Amino acid sequence: MSMINANITEIQSVDSLNIVSFDFLGTTLKMMSLDLNAEMQVGRKVVLNVKPFHITIVKEFYGDISYSNKLNAVVKSCENGELLSSVKLLVNGVVFESIITKELALKMELKIGDNVIVMIKANDLSIQEVLND
Amino acid sequence: MIKIDINKKLHGASGDMNLSVSLSVKDNEFVALSGKSGSGKTTLLRILAGLEESDGVIEVDGEVWQNSKRSLSPQKRRIGFVFQDYALFPNMSVLENLLYVVKDRNLAERLLEITELRELRNRLPNTLSGGQKQRVSLCRAMMNRPKLLLMDEPLSALDSEMRMKLQREIKVLHEEFGTTTIMVSHDASEIYRLASRVVVLDVGKVINDGTPKDVLLKTSGSQKFSFEGELLDIVKVDVIYIAIISIAQQLVEVVVSSEESKQLIIGQKVSVSTKAFTPIINQ
Repeated sequence: MSMINANITEIQSVDSLNIVSFDFLGTTLKMMSLDLNAEMQVGRKVVLNVKPFHITIVKEFYGDISYSNKLNAVVKSCENGELLSSVKLLVNGVVFESIITKELALKMELKIGDNVIVMIKANDLSIQEVLND
Repeated sequence: MIKIDINKKLHGASGDMNLSVSLSVKDNEFVALSGKSGSGKTTLLRILAGLEESDGVIEVDGEVWQNSKRSLSPQKRRIGFVFQDYALFPNMSVLENLLYVVKDRNLAERLLEITELRELRNRLPNTLSGGQKQRVSLCRAMMNRPKLLLMDEPLSALDSEMRMKLQREIKVLHEEFGTTTIMVSHDASEIYRLASRVVVLDVGKVINDGTPKDVLLKTSGSQKFSFEGELLDIVKVDVIYIAIISIAQQLVEVVVSSEESKQLIIGQKVSVSTKAFTPIINQ
């Protein structure tokens, strides 16, 4: 699981539905969520998490795509199993892990040092904890 | 090997039913017996113990405990029985309760050591906690080195910490003595930790028989994270709908689309599931 330290910058709400924006070292992230805890307010520091199965790796992308979160990343390692591959990626100095099929990892020829884009849908991002200032 | 093939008419709260069970239990096997209340679990244990009559055959390692001609008395069957309510002799000390079964002091000391009761060996049962009393009953059930250990929800009256401790001790005893064991239990974590096989009874019949994972893992298609609940409400928010569902005394919310929401009826039983890749475990 990837853990991301970020600050809440904006909360848009309709009834119990919220879109929360975060600043993650200069990059904006967006999260879709139902009711938020009282402590989840603009300005608070939080730890975000995302499961490795929900991180998409994109190479040479052109055009629009319905992913709210697009981050520039560098491939740090790629460990192949029998069927799956665990790809570690560096984003703003933070390690993200993506687990994809080995078939895809080989087809994409992922190598250490490759520049890629990491994409995460807004509903796949969640707040792990709110940090005390 | 224990062969069970018995029949008995029962008069339960929901009418008459026929308890009809045919099972083979291997040596050293640890079988959990599960099922709704009134499904015949306790009656089956009592029949095996010789405390209730039934038609049919019970054979243990080639020795007939019961057939159409005869039935061994409970004392002559090599069984240990652990009840939910301890059933200790109140006027005897812990050690005397054990030695009453068989005067084998070495075995008694060994059992008290495994269950960490040595310091309490001279105490009377009414000075012990529930967990300690149940450990004494367990030791006592092992004193005649039973061929078959029967336990009827032995841990259900204990708090969760004490339950885990006794589960560990039951496991150690089972590994050390290799006693074939049948335990009535409803607790999935207890069954997973202790049993190698689960037999599920319903209205007197075996409806499921397999490994704990095969029997207990709730699946729905390829979804491995599945719970039964009751749909309490559906609330429209923006273009999505939120289904509020009660599962095991908790409320959960699941986001559904407009199309999905049209299929659902408030008050109905639903199963909520997701793939094993999605949930996050917090400590």
